Amino acid sequence: MDATEGHRSEPLTDGPAIRIEGLVKDYGLVHAVRGIDLEVRRGEVFGFLGPNGAGKTTTIRCLLDLLRPTAGRLEVLGLDPRRDALALRGRVAYMPGELRLPERMTGAGLVAAIGRLRGGLDAKRRDDLAARLDLDLTRRLRDLSSGNRRKVALLLAFLADAELLILDEPTNGLDPLMQREFLTLVREARQRGTTIFLSSHVLSEVQRAADRVAVLRQGRVLALGDVEELRRRARQRVEVWFAGPPPLGELAGLSGLVDQHVEDHRFSAVLAGSIEPLLALLAHQRVVSMLVEEPDLEEAFLDLYEAAS
Amino acid sequence: MSARWVELIGGPFRASWRAALGWSVAFVLLIVSTMAFWPAFRGSSGITTAIDQLPAPLLTAFGLEGFGTPAGYLRGGLYELVMPLCFAAAGVLFANSATASEEDSGRLELFVSQPVSRAAFFTGRAIAVFAWLGVLTMVALAVQLASDEVFAVPIDAGRVAATVVLCGLLGAFLAGLGLAVARFVARPQMVLSAGFGIAYTSYLILALFPLSSLLAPWREIAPWGWALGGDPLVNGGDAWRYVLLGVPAVLLAAVGVLAFERRDIRSA
Repeated sequence: MDATEGHRSEPLTDGPAIRIEGLVKDYGLVHAVRGIDLEVRRGEVFGFLGPNGAGKTTTIRCLLDLLRPTAGRLEVLGLDPRRDALALRGRVAYMPGELRLPERMTGAGLVAAIGRLRGGLDAKRRDDLAARLDLDLTRRLRDLSSGNRRKVALLLAFLADAELLILDEPTNGLDPLMQREFLTLVREARQRGTTIFLSSHVLSEVQRAADRVAVLRQGRVLALGDVEELRRRARQRVEVWFAGPPPLGELAGLSGLVDQHVEDHRFSAVLAGSIEPLLALLAHQRVVSMLVEEPDLEEAFLDLYEAAS
Repeated sequence: MSARWVELIGGPFRASWRAALGWSVAFVLLIVSTMAFWPAFRGSSGITTAIDQLPAPLLTAFGLEGFGTPAGYLRGGLYELVMPLCFAAAGVLFANSATASEEDSGRLELFVSQPVSRAAFFTGRAIAVFAWLGVLTMVALAVQLASDEVFAVPIDAGRVAATVVLCGLLGAFLAGLGLAVARFVARPQMVLSAGFGIAYTSYLILALFPLSSLLAPWREIAPWGWALGGDPLVNGGDAWRYVLLGVPAVLLAAVGVLAFERRDIRSA
């Protein structure tokens, strides 16, 4: 018997890398995922955002057939994760969020073991990745810090040369230099055409790496779209210095301009929505200076959560 | 054998070498230290007379009948309780550490997400568990036969071999049970309690049922009785005893695969 018995020929499709329709996963009375629908395009870096307990890891584990969904339909690289599990796992590399590695093995031993299970590995690329991640593979895993263990898992994920990389909280415990190296590895993989499904609650990391994001809360998708689009939906702090007293009456009439403050000729507020009406109003005023803070994903994220609450 | 199978069997086999070494050392110490006292018993009619004066039910319960004979000494000193208990414990613990304990700690996730089937993954682990029990059986047998030679115990080597192999099969049966339980529920405490519970209960049945005329006919109803109920040191091993322990061991290990195919994998 071959360990990969049942390995199907690869159906090459042009469909999405991941398609999730109505995914529900219950653990008894606990509803971990309450109906997720999303698609991840081939070749994109997809950010999967949400706080702990939002359902990110449960969704990922369903995609990998580690968990059996309560309801819903999943498709990964055109395959059914359960029926075509073997064929699929050969094309996907996974980095678990909760890392539990065999402590008595060395990094090299673990890489060799996974290599044998995957049917081989590129020794030159292994050494190259180890050097880039500043990782000593000769040490036992129990002797490594949590950050270095995560580097071992990162090395395994990027060594696999898979079509789809599923990374669950990949930079937990990594120092800033290694986080930067991780982002470089993500960009390189993307250039090779790899789809990357990046689960994280580190918003800055997703903001820098991802093309599109889904934001989860309590097992549901709160928002799904481009990073830029999500940022545009975020509130921005606006400050305007007028040559004279601010036109408070007109400013108060603008929709989406909340939390207004006036201090002499300085006007500040939080802008939710398009900035165009404000600019149109200011075009007819004597404005000395203006500051619009760049919204980041974190603000968008918090806004979504506040709105959902 | 493909590289995958080398890893599927070799990985868990390597992971258990320390435990196996510990059991081997324990077997050597137990057997050699027990057999070293044989010369003292062989020449001492006083000790055997004193033991023979114990109440018959006690002699039966603790396997002390004929303690002055080579077979009685081996049975009372090692093969009534100590060695089968060691093999039972080794079987349950090997099965638990290769499956439920690994899954419960979250260490399986990285391996199960590789391109191998769940059935192949756990078949490899079951083979590793049975392989170590085979190695331990060989170690115990070799040390026992060598000790018999060194301490001049006049006993038939074939009957000794049958006894040691039946103890090993008792361990394999309980390992199979542990593997089956682990595939239904990845809870180490469930595997341990099922394995040790069956071992302890079946020992009590073999040891205590003969004390009741009503229960005596049922003394070989449980695995401990299947293995040692026929007093293999005196009578040798019946073929059906090997089959009754060995076949269910494999079947139990196999049956659980179906359950494992259907259930969720636990994470940390």
